[in-house]
Formats: sequence, structure tokens, C-alpha cells
Amino acid sequence: MSNVLAPSQTPARRSLEARFGDTLAALGWRGLAELGLVYLALFVVLVQTIYPLFWVLSGSLKTKQEVITNVWGPPSGLAVSNYAEAWRMAGMGARILNSVGITMAALVILVLAATPCAYAIARLKFRGRIAVTAAIVAAMLVPPQVMAIPLFLVARDLGLINNRLGIAIIYAATSLPLSVFILRSFFMTLPADLEDAARVDGASRLAILVHIMLPLIRPGVALVLIFGFIEIWNDFFLAFLLLRKPELQTIPLGLVSFFQQYDSLWNLYFAALMITTLPVIVVFLLMQRQFIAGLTAGAVKG
Amino acid sequence: MSAAPAPSPDAGAGRGALLPRRPGRTSHAPSGDGLAAAAMILPAAILFGLFYVWPFASGFWLSLHSWDGFSPPVFIGMANYVRLASDRIFLGALENNIIFVIAILILKNVLGLGLALLLNRAMVGRSFFRAAAFVPVTMSFVAVGLLWSWIYNPVFGLLNAGLDLFGLGFLKHSWLGDANTALYAIIAVDVWKWLGFHGVIYLAGLQTIPAELYESATMDGAGRFRRFWHVTLPLIMPIVFINSILGLSGAFVRNFDIVYVLTKGGPNHATEVALTYMMTKAFQDGAMSYAAAMGYVLFMIVGLACVGLLALMRRQRLAL
Repeated sequence: MSNVLAPSQTPARRSLEARFGDTLAALGWRGLAELGLVYLALFVVLVQTIYPLFWVLSGSLKTKQEVITNVWGPPSGLAVSNYAEAWRMAGMGARILNSVGITMAALVILVLAATPCAYAIARLKFRGRIAVTAAIVAAMLVPPQVMAIPLFLVARDLGLINNRLGIAIIYAATSLPLSVFILRSFFMTLPADLEDAARVDGASRLAILVHIMLPLIRPGVALVLIFGFIEIWNDFFLAFLLLRKPELQTIPLGLVSFFQQYDSLWNLYFAALMITTLPVIVVFLLMQRQFIAGLTAGAVKG
Repeated sequence: MSAAPAPSPDAGAGRGALLPRRPGRTSHAPSGDGLAAAAMILPAAILFGLFYVWPFASGFWLSLHSWDGFSPPVFIGMANYVRLASDRIFLGALENNIIFVIAILILKNVLGLGLALLLNRAMVGRSFFRAAAFVPVTMSFVAVGLLWSWIYNPVFGLLNAGLDLFGLGFLKHSWLGDANTALYAIIAVDVWKWLGFHGVIYLAGLQTIPAELYESATMDGAGRFRRFWHVTLPLIMPIVFINSILGLSGAFVRNFDIVYVLTKGGPNHATEVALTYMMTKAFQDGAMSYAAAMGYVLFMIVGLACVGLLALMRRQRLAL
């Protein structure tokens, strides 16, 4: 996506930087003071986002007593045993495996179902194309939460309650409309001659999709995977609805039941929260450029 | 990631392996793609049919019945909907949803745009601050909710300790325990989680505005405020609408997690929203069809609001 944004962005940024130098020269102290205010405000934003997380981190290394007596400061010692204990008591290992398995299965099903559908409605000519597209758009206006009760009953009829593959399929279905819509807009940006040439060469529609189109819309697939991952990995609602056995629970369900089961083990909650939150934050920080570029390209393109 | 096949540079080999379907015909034949299209849409259509169309239709049928989940359903027409119209807890929950929506639309748009304007002026470290602001977006509502339930904790929570530190101890409060503050405390958490998301989208919008427009506005003698009002704001109106639609549907249908984790709708229904009440009715009171009817009321409200916003957006775009 960066190449979509880049052409309009680069000259603007360059001239901004050029103007920055001019501003310093022309405005002198006033410009500097203003910039100082901007950074002061940004620093406030930074503190209000990051400090609570730092607070959890330091809380996770305090003893049960110290969490209450020493609210603000860093821990006096490193109670690393909190992590082992939280891991054991909250049954982290099994929950993480459940979350990983369910999320991966859901994303595979999602991409396998959404990509050909998006390609068909973007590039093929057939009767009912407009109807299919309209159904996808309409479905985006029906959040799965509003049909939670009938969805639960349908899942029960199909034997998909307390079923890890079952909830993965349902996650794929609930992420489907938005994903098809995103992929469709990516397919539509590709030039038509590309396909026509391949068709003249005698390639089938499926071969064109897999060998020619798919490599070109990888940013779109990445965007679908990113959105899907955040949505499914973090979901509490559908898991709460469909996974009722403790041994099948995903991380969010496990955290809540750990929290409800043991009262006032604050340092252990902090440790459990760290274990489950930190990996996602680290992954995000490592690939934040692609992440934000994909997100904003999708939103700004509308 | 595993689902995306690696790009094959030697597409010729793959193409050779697959026989042409209809030799001699090209994509100019309009009806020629019917079969291929049907095959490609089929997997999505199965998922869509099973988990959208079927529940949507069967749920509506269910909402016209009286059913506890076990005994045979009894047809009662619109009685569930009539009962909802006088269910004070449900109406209270909808009122909370509406407070939620209004507060969130204002806070997320104003603060999100403010954050984006700040980020846009930062010449050094912009991506650092942007990433930091975005971190809460990647956290689950459960993690965010648990984090904030400690911040709000009346005994040793960060918020009350902070008030003490600044000599504002008289404001100390059981934030989630008091019916007057609990809903606003939850709204603050929702805004905290999503601020970075809306800020990043606004920032992308700001960056598409050509610098020349500002330069010529400055040359025409427009001050900072007028440049914002006459250049920035009109050009980012589409982003305002996108952020509003996302915030709107979020405040109606995506706040179960946060409310459940922080208050479960309490104290005494003060933070009850439509989704928490729906789940309580269905799974604690066994009123399946009554809960299904709530889902449809919610659907109508969100659908009409979104369609209204989209229509407004279209008209605005034409006017611009």
C-alpha cells in the first residue's frame, strides 16, 4: 500500500521539511516555542497510553502486599515467580494453544473463502454479480452481535458449540463481508489487460487468480489477515457465547475467569495480563509500519 | 499467512499445467464466466448462508414466538416487541447506548483529530508517537477492561492515588461502583482504547491534503484558524464520516466485552447496554425469543443510523 500513498505524500513531506528549516530561520523563538508545545502535548498522550502499561509491568513484579503499599513506584524486588504462578493458576498454556489454533484456522478459512469470492465479483462477468456485491455490503451493516441468539441456536443445531473448529468457521464467516469488500477493492485496482493477455494464452480463471492476481494483491491479503487477527485473537463475545467448557477457552475468556475466580491476587493478574498482552504489542511494534499503512490505506480509500 | 500462496515467477509452468477451459474464447464473452464465478463464490456463499442468512431469518421467526429454549415455541406475533417497548430495563439500556454513542462520537472525533494535528506537526519522532498512541488498539477489550478495573479500584487504584497526589483527594470516588459515574468511566475506557485508531486514520487524511492548498491560503492572508476551518475541515469530512460510522456501530454493538468486564451492567443496571441485557435475558432467564427480539431492535437502530450517515455523507460529498 505504501506505493499508493507515496506519490502524494513524498513531495508534501519534503516541502514540510524544507519549510521546517525556513520556519526556524524566520520565526526563531516563536516557532520553537510552538513546536515545544506540540511535543509537550504529545508527551502527555504518550504518558497516558504507556504509563498504565508500565504500571502493570511493575505490578507484575511486586509481591501481593507491595501492590497495595507501593502504588506508583517500581517494584522493590523482582518477584518473577508471579509469572510462573499466574501461568499455572490461569492455565495459560492451554488457553494460548486454543487461541493460536482457533485464530490460525479461522484466518486460513477466511482467506480461502474470501479471495475467490472477491475476485469473482471484482473481475468476472456473470449474472447476479450486482446482487452478490449488494449482499456483501448489506452484511457489513449486520454486526454478528445483533444476531447472537439465533447464531447460538444455529451453532447448536450444527454441533458447533464447544467445538474449536466450529468457532473458527464462525469467526471466518463473521469476518467475511469486510474481507471480501477489502479484497474486492484491491482486485479492482489491477489493470484489465493483465488478465486479457493471460486469457488469450488460454489460462483458466483459477490459474489467473492464483498465479497472476494473487501475488499482486498481497498487501490486500495482509490487510485482511491483520484485521482478522486483531478481531479474532481479541474476541470475547463470540467465545463467551460458543465456548462453554473451561478446557476450550481462549485467552480473553481465561483472563476473565481467572479474574473472577481468585479475588485480590493483583500481582498475579498483572503477570497474566503481561503474558497475554506483551506478545501482541511486540508483534505490532515490529511491523507497525506495514500495519498502519495498510489500515490507513483501507480507510482513506473508503 | 500460510493461506497466501507464494508468488510463482514462472507462471508459464502453472498455466501450461492447467488446460484452457474454452479455447478460442476470451473475456469478451459476458456469460462465459458464470460457472467459474459460481465455483469461486461457493465457499463464501456457504459460510454466508449458514452464519448470516440462516440466523438472521430464523432469529426473526423466533422473535415472533415465545420460547424458553426447550419447550415447543408458541407463536405470539409482535408481543415480544410490544413488551420491549415497555421494558424499563431495556429502555434504560438503550438510553445508555445513546449516551455512549453521543459521548463517543464527540470525544473520538475531537480527540482523534487533535491527536492527528499534533502528530502532523511533529517533524521528529512522528512514527514513534503514532505507534505509542496505537498500542491500546491492539489490546483486547478484556485486557483493557481488567487494566482499567485496577485503575478505577477505590482502594489502591491509580486514579484515586493520582487525585491524592495532586491534592484533589476530595474527588476520590468509587468510579465504577457509583451509578452516577460508572457509565462515564466505561466511556472513558473505550475512548482510551480507540483514540490511537481514530488519530491514525485522521493523520492519513491530513497527509493527503496537498501542502500547496495551505500555502495559497496563507498567501491569501488566512490565519491558522481559518486555514483549519476552510481547508483542513472540508477536505477531511469523508474521514469524519468514516470515524463516525465506526464509532457509532462500535457504541451500539461492540461494547459487550468492556461493560461485562468492568461492571456487568451494574450497579443496578446503571451501565446496562442492550447487548449485556440481551445476553442476561437469553442465558440467565432463558428468554431466548425475547432476547432475539432485542437483537432485531438493535439491528434496526444501527442499520438506520448507518444508512442515514451514509446518505448524509453522499450528499456532503456532492456539495463539496
